[in-house]
Amino acid sequence: MARAFKNTPRGFSATLEAAERQLMRGLFQDVITLLEPEVVPDEDPLWAMVGMDSNAHREDFGPPTDRATMRLLPDSNPDDADASLEFRRLSERGIRERKIGALREAALLMESGSILLSEQTAPRFAAAINDVRLVLAERLGLESEEDAERIHAQDDWSKAESVDEYLALVYNFVTWMQESLMQAMLKSL
Amino acid sequence: MTAMPDVLEHVEQAQAHQLDQPYILIIWNDPVNLMSYVSYVFRSYFGYSEEKAEKLMMQVHQDGRSVVATGNREKIESDVAAMHGFGLWATLSKEDAA
Repeated sequence: MARAFKNTPRGFSATLEAAERQLMRGLFQDVITLLEPEVVPDEDPLWAMVGMDSNAHREDFGPPTDRATMRLLPDSNPDDADASLEFRRLSERGIRERKIGALREAALLMESGSILLSEQTAPRFAAAINDVRLVLAERLGLESEEDAERIHAQDDWSKAESVDEYLALVYNFVTWMQESLMQAMLKSL
Repeated sequence: MTAMPDVLEHVEQAQAHQLDQPYILIIWNDPVNLMSYVSYVFRSYFGYSEEKAEKLMMQVHQDGRSVVATGNREKIESDVAAMHGFGLWATLSKEDAA
């Protein structure tokens, strides 16, 4: 059984079983795959260096087509499509790369059963877990507070039969882990 | 000779006015982000007190949205990028349009 995050003098610590770590690693990896920008062969390294996407200057550049990716990278200006697109041109590549960095770091932390997060690492780990929850929620069709309660009520692994029931349990596990980390982090602010 | 600087000054003032127009950062409610996480982000990123962060977080939760920062366009755009980095649903608007 996993043990929730708690404050220790060395940082925020939690324990995860091997199967739980394998599950988490897979989830972090899935979100990385969603976020990795398309690699174009003639990419100008200067664009990448300043955090801009050379794809961003193509005619067909637009918002993500996948709903989960769209939830990770929402429109900045819902009333103004041109302004939203301009924001994406300037910022999206950098946001993707910061997210991928945090997710890779989180996946690496799953190598060991006892997880120890420093003050600096903890916010990035929390953001990585949050991105995993956003993607799971999108896949589960979680859109309202009622959906959230319905999903939250599922807690019996032995009764999970469908993919959605299994995903709901995974979502609840990740939520539990994030909540325990947030309580520990709020105490240390 | 005296007309030119006068004209230039007007143009500069007009541009400066446009750049200074205040923008607002709005955080929208969603059923995924934890209340504790939203509070943490408001406290750690904006440096808000526990009371202010809780108040804004409850506003997001109950009213569906909250204006959590105001500033020039450049600042608010960088705040939106930071909020998207945290996974919060953030948008920006011109202050008078909101």
